[in-house]
Amino acid sequence: MKIETTLTVNGFNYLVDIDPHATLSRTVRDAIGLTGTKEGCDDSECGACMMLIDGKPVNSCSYLALQAEGTAITTVEGLAIGDELSPLQKSFLSCGGVQCGFCTPGMLISATALLADNPHPTEADVRIGLSGNLCRCTGYDGIVKAVLEAAQVSS
Amino acid sequence: MATAANAVETAFPEAVSAIRSDGKEKVTGTGRYTADLTLTGQLHAAFRYTDHPSARLLKVDVSKAKAVPGVIAVVTNADVPDVKYGGMVQDRYLFAKDTVRFEGDIIAGVAATTEAIARHAASLIEVDYEVLPSISDFVKAMDPSSPLVHADWEDYSRNEDLGSNGNTLGYSTIVKGDADAAMAGADVVVKGRYFTDPVQGVPIEPRAILAQWNGDKVTVWTSSQVPFAARAGVALTMGVTESQVRIIVPLLGGGFGAKCDFHFEGHVAALARKANRPVKLVFTRREEFFAVGHRREGMLIELETGARADGTLVARRGRLVLDSGAYCGEGGFFAQMAAMHACGPYKIENINIESYLNYSNNQPSSSIRAPTAPQVCWALEQHMDHLARELGMDPVDLRRHTLVEEGAEGPTRQVFDRIGMKETLELAAERIGYGQVLPDDEAIGFASGWWPCFAVPSGAYVKFNPDGTATIITGAQENGSGSVMAMPQFVAEELGMRAEDISIVYQDTDVAPWDMGSSGSQTTFNSVRAVLDAAVDVRNQLIAAAADLLEAAPEDLEMAEGTIRVKGTPTKNVAIAEITAGGTFHGRGSGPLPESPPVQAEGCVGRLGNESFLAPQFFTHAVRVKLDRDTGVARVLQVAAAHESGRVLNPIGANGQVYGGVVMGIGQALSEGTQLDADGRQRNPGLLDYKLVTCSDAPRIDIDWVEINTPNAGPRGSKGIGEPPSVPTAGAIANALTQLIGSPVTTLPMTPERVWAVANGVAQ
Repeated sequence: MKIETTLTVNGFNYLVDIDPHATLSRTVRDAIGLTGTKEGCDDSECGACMMLIDGKPVNSCSYLALQAEGTAITTVEGLAIGDELSPLQKSFLSCGGVQCGFCTPGMLISATALLADNPHPTEADVRIGLSGNLCRCTGYDGIVKAVLEAAQVSS
Repeated sequence: MATAANAVETAFPEAVSAIRSDGKEKVTGTGRYTADLTLTGQLHAAFRYTDHPSARLLKVDVSKAKAVPGVIAVVTNADVPDVKYGGMVQDRYLFAKDTVRFEGDIIAGVAATTEAIARHAASLIEVDYEVLPSISDFVKAMDPSSPLVHADWEDYSRNEDLGSNGNTLGYSTIVKGDADAAMAGADVVVKGRYFTDPVQGVPIEPRAILAQWNGDKVTVWTSSQVPFAARAGVALTMGVTESQVRIIVPLLGGGFGAKCDFHFEGHVAALARKANRPVKLVFTRREEFFAVGHRREGMLIELETGARADGTLVARRGRLVLDSGAYCGEGGFFAQMAAMHACGPYKIENINIESYLNYSNNQPSSSIRAPTAPQVCWALEQHMDHLARELGMDPVDLRRHTLVEEGAEGPTRQVFDRIGMKETLELAAERIGYGQVLPDDEAIGFASGWWPCFAVPSGAYVKFNPDGTATIITGAQENGSGSVMAMPQFVAEELGMRAEDISIVYQDTDVAPWDMGSSGSQTTFNSVRAVLDAAVDVRNQLIAAAADLLEAAPEDLEMAEGTIRVKGTPTKNVAIAEITAGGTFHGRGSGPLPESPPVQAEGCVGRLGNESFLAPQFFTHAVRVKLDRDTGVARVLQVAAAHESGRVLNPIGANGQVYGGVVMGIGQALSEGTQLDADGRQRNPGLLDYKLVTCSDAPRIDIDWVEINTPNAGPRGSKGIGEPPSVPTAGAIANALTQLIGSPVTTLPMTPERVWAVANGVAQ
C-alpha cells in the first residue's frame, strides 16, 4: 500500500507516493531525484546519508520518509546560497577536505549543523562533532581544517 | 602543519596546489557516482552466493526464482561462455561451475524490476551441495596432506614464473651470499614470529555497476579503478572483442585497491544481455566486505637477523606465508613483493628469504594500498627494534647505521642512486621531538620503509579547441586521490597557458588510449608522462604554424602568456586562439618508459618483475602513543610522517595522500581486522564490528617532504605517493607500545585485548 505524502526538501514541496517502510534517503534519491545524498552502509554507521530535519542532522538511511512529513528537510543540494557556495563548501575545497567526495555530502551536513549549534568550535569540538561521519581518504585533516576555517570566515 | 618545502635541495620551483576541478560538483551534490545513474527500463540485480565456503555443486534449480513476478532474467554458469579468468592464473569462473571455494562465490544472478524482488528471487534458488572440508588455515594449506583448494590447478593457464605447486600458488626467494654461515658468525642474533589478520579496503562508496547492451556492444558504467582491465574482463567472459565493450567510470567514491581488477562487470553484463534491458547492481556494505575479491591478506612472518656488535647487519633469514584466499586475482606477485619488504631498505650482507603465497578457502586477496608492505614493515620494524634492544643500541641509531644511502646495495644488489632514505629518518625524529622526556604512559616509536614505482605504458592526447582552450584526453583513472586533477596545471606550464583554460576527459575506454588505471601509485608517474609528451607534440605543431605567420624560425619561438612569441621580443607574437581558430591541432604522446635498475638475482626464484625497485620511495614515520594500561587502549597522539617521493608536484594532493594513508595505517595497527570462523566465513562484515578510525580518534599529523632529484624518476623528478603513507605507521605504533609494556605485540591488529594480554603476561 502506497501512501501519498508531501515532503519539503530544500524549500520545495514534493508530492510522493511511498511505501510505509520507505526510508528518507531512498525516497529523496529515487522518488524525488536528488542523488547528492549518498548511502555508504544503510545502517547508520558511516554518516554519508546525513540530512538536516528542521536543522538537526539525521542518518536518512535509517529514518522513515513518512516521519519527515511536515518538516523542513535539507540535503547537500540545499547548502549553497544561490549560485554561491557556502563558506563550508568553499573551505572543504581549499583545505583539501574533499578527495573521492562520497562522504562529503554527509560531512557538510554534519558540519553545517555543528556550526549552527556552535559557531566558534575548538578543534576538539569539531572532531567530536564529526565522529559519526566516516572518511577513508583524507585522514580527516582537511575536513577539520575546513570547518575551523569556515567558522572563522563566518564570524 | 605540513611543510611541503622542507627540502634537502632547493633547486625545484615552488609547486602550486591544484584545487580539484571536480570539487564543485562534489560539494554541491550534483556530481554523479555510478549508483546515482538510472536508465529507462533499468532492472536491479542481486546475487545468490554459496551457502558453504567449500563445496561441490550437485544441483542448481532456478525455477522458483524465475517464477517470481518481476523477475526478467536469471543467469548461472550455463548461460555464459565457458571461460575462466584471472591475472597471473586463470582460476575463476564468473558464476561457479562445479565447485565453490569461498563464501562470496556467486552461483547465480537475478535481474528484476526492483531490488527487493531480485533479492527475494535469489533466495529462492535451490542448490544441492556436497560440502567439502574448508581450508581456512593458510599455513596448514601447504602441508602435503592438505586437500587442494583447486584440484585441477595443473591444468590452469598461468604465469610459469609463479612457481606454483598444489595449494602454493606463488613461491619466491631472495638469496644473497651465504646467510647460514653469516648467521653462525654473528655477534647477536634475534628471531621473531608475527601474524596478521586480513584487512579490508573499505571505500565509503559500495561498488555499483550499470550495464546496457546496444546490439552487440555493451556499455558498462562501473565504480572501477581500472577501466581497461574491466573492459578486457568483460570481453573475455562475454565472448566479445574489447572494441565491443565500453567502460565508463562516473565519479568514483574511493578505492584503495579494493576496486582494482575486473570484478562484477561481467556478471551484470551477462544479466543485461539475457534480460535485454539495462541492469544495475549496487552492493550492500555487507557485500562490500565479504563478496569482493580484494582484501589485504593475512600473513605469517618469521624473521631472523644476525648483526655485528656495532649493528652492521650480516645476515637475514625469513619465511613468509601469505594467504591468497580462494583465487589468485591480481595478487600473483605478492610472494615476491613481501620478500622484498622482508629485507626492507637496509644494508644486509647475506640474505635468504622464502615466501609462499597459498590458496585457502578464505576471501581472495588482491591489491590493497601497497599490497604486502604494511604487514611486513610492521613485523620487520619491530624486529629491528628487537635487535636494537639486544645490541643495547638506540633504535634510531641502529637505523642510521643500517638504512640504505646513495651507493649502497639493495637485497638483490641493486645499487641506489641519489635517495633520501636517511633524511626521512632524521626529519621524523626532529619533528616528533625524539629524546624529549615523556610521561610514563607515553612513548615514541619509529618505522621506515620503501616502495617502488611501476613503469607501465600510458597514452594521451592534447587537442586544441578553436577558441584557444585545450582538452586533455587521458586513459588515467581517478579514484579520489586527485592524481589527474593536476594534469591541466602541468600542461598549462608546458604550453604557457592558464590551467583554467585546459579541461580534461578521462574514465572512458572508447575515448582514451590504454592506461593501467588507478593502481600502483602510477598515475602521475606514467599518465602524466604521457600527457606531457602529448603537450610537447601539440606545442611543436602550434609553433610550426606560428613560425609561418611570424616569419620566424620555430626554434626562436616560445609559448607564454597565451601566445606564441619570438624569444626576447615578446611584442612579436600571435595569440594561441588565432592559430587554433583556423585549423585542427591535436598532439599525442606516451613518453619513453624508465627502465628498472639492473640486479644480480641469479639465486632468486619467483622473479616476476620486482627484483629491483624502480625510483623507490622512502619514508619514516615517528609516532607518539599514549597507553591506558588498565584497558590496553592505545591512542596515537602525534604522527611525524617524512617522505621522499622525489619532487612534489601538487602539494595539496600529496599531503592529502599522507594524511589519509597515516590514518588508514592507524586503523590497521589498532582496530581493523577481519575475523574469520573456522571455515573462513567473515564474522564482522560491517562497520560496527570492523572499526575504522573516526575523526575524534585521528591524531595531529605533521608532514615533511624530502625532495631529492632522483635520476630515472617520473615526470619532473616526481615519484609515486599514493601507497607508501599507509605502510610504516603500524610498525611505528608497535615499537612505541613495546616500550610501554615491555614486550612486543606480535599479532596485528594490536587491539586493546591483545595489548592488555601481552602487558599482563596472559596467553592469547
